[in-house]
Amino acid sequence: MLIQFRDITKTYDGKKILDGINLLIDTASDSRDVILRGPSGIGKTTLLRIMAGLETADSGSIEITMGEAAGGGGKLRIGMVFQENRLLEQFTAVENVTCVDPLISRVRAREALRNVLEEEALDKPVRELSGGMQRRVAIVRAMLPASDLLIMDEPLTGLDAETRDRVIAYIMDNKGRRPLVIASHDTEGLPKMRELVLDGKG
Amino acid sequence: MSKKYFIVVFWLLIWQLVSILVHNSIMLAGPLDTMIALKQMILTGEYWRSILFSAVRIMGGFLMGSILGILLAWCSYREKHVEDILKPFIATLKAIPVASFVIILLIWAGNKILSLYISTLVVIPVLYLNTLGGLKATDAKLLEMAEVFRMPILRRLHYIFLPSLYPFWNSSLQAALGMAWKSGVAAEVIGQPLGSVGNGLYQSKIYLETADLFAWTITIILTALILEKLVLRILRKCIVNR
Repeated sequence: MLIQFRDITKTYDGKKILDGINLLIDTASDSRDVILRGPSGIGKTTLLRIMAGLETADSGSIEITMGEAAGGGGKLRIGMVFQENRLLEQFTAVENVTCVDPLISRVRAREALRNVLEEEALDKPVRELSGGMQRRVAIVRAMLPASDLLIMDEPLTGLDAETRDRVIAYIMDNKGRRPLVIASHDTEGLPKMRELVLDGKG
Repeated sequence: MSKKYFIVVFWLLIWQLVSILVHNSIMLAGPLDTMIALKQMILTGEYWRSILFSAVRIMGGFLMGSILGILLAWCSYREKHVEDILKPFIATLKAIPVASFVIILLIWAGNKILSLYISTLVVIPVLYLNTLGGLKATDAKLLEMAEVFRMPILRRLHYIFLPSLYPFWNSSLQAALGMAWKSGVAAEVIGQPLGSVGNGLYQSKIYLETADLFAWTITIILTALILEKLVLRILRKCIVNR
């Protein structure tokens, strides 16, 4: 599958946030994962939101060439970690993972969550979990459903060094051939991947 | 708890005292006379049949009004044009006095199920406005998350909309139920369907049986209160303790 972002531009309040961004993601390539870098407010989140279809670019195009393996009915299926956790506060960690996709069983959700969380945290309402724990629930929720593209906006925020390594290992071990586009301030612990540096100049 | 009982006993004593001072059971029956009248009524089958007659119609109207109000609110939430079109209709339902509705519907539909229609019409705007408010207050970020993950609509309802609607429904169902009973019984008093609570109230009035009138009033308050608790319990069980 090929995903091509061509000459993406976006303007907010008269200020050009993204100017002629080009990115080609080829799932068959070994360099399919991309890290977006750049200072805060440069447009990383906006670009991720455009990729996820949550915002439209002012100009440019997004072309998706589906391969035989794609199963989204012609539409790009996305697993996403948002800038905020966006969890259902009164529901448990397991429910937060199973709720997005009827095909994810509780057993499978528990198994996946155990990679990044302690057992006793799984059945607590997520509002009772720490920020770091909630972040990990959001990551598992993005990883489990079948998807064509993984998008993560600062997924490692609020994680200590040890947890961070555990989470990165979980993501890399379970993402399979799905391309990962990740926006992250610091790249410590992340495997080497293609970089797209946003500097506001296009 | 004891403070609550003390307050109730205090007001019962005041009521009894005033009734003694008035010394006219037609003008004001005391709590003792009322309790005696209530006891006599309870022992008759007619009393229970009247409660059932009115409760079925009023609660039926409450249910229909709630369903219609919720469905219309959902349509308005999904389509702004529907909200604009419904605005004058809802405003009219809110503004028209219950008595006018009663008389119009009495001409159109007769008195048998008048209270059902009236309570439906009274409940619709309450549930409509509160449901629409709850839907609009739903966390947009969670809805965006659901959109990205292509969450099925029933799951969105279960996990996102219902928790957001709960506080709105909790207060509006309480208010709507009280209004349904008040207007439903008023409709029965005007329409006079035989064997209804409203008919019982009216009979008390024409025979100047103030104690019976108060006993019927207590009956209406207690029935509405019990059903209100039941409805809120079901709501809580369905949404909070799932």
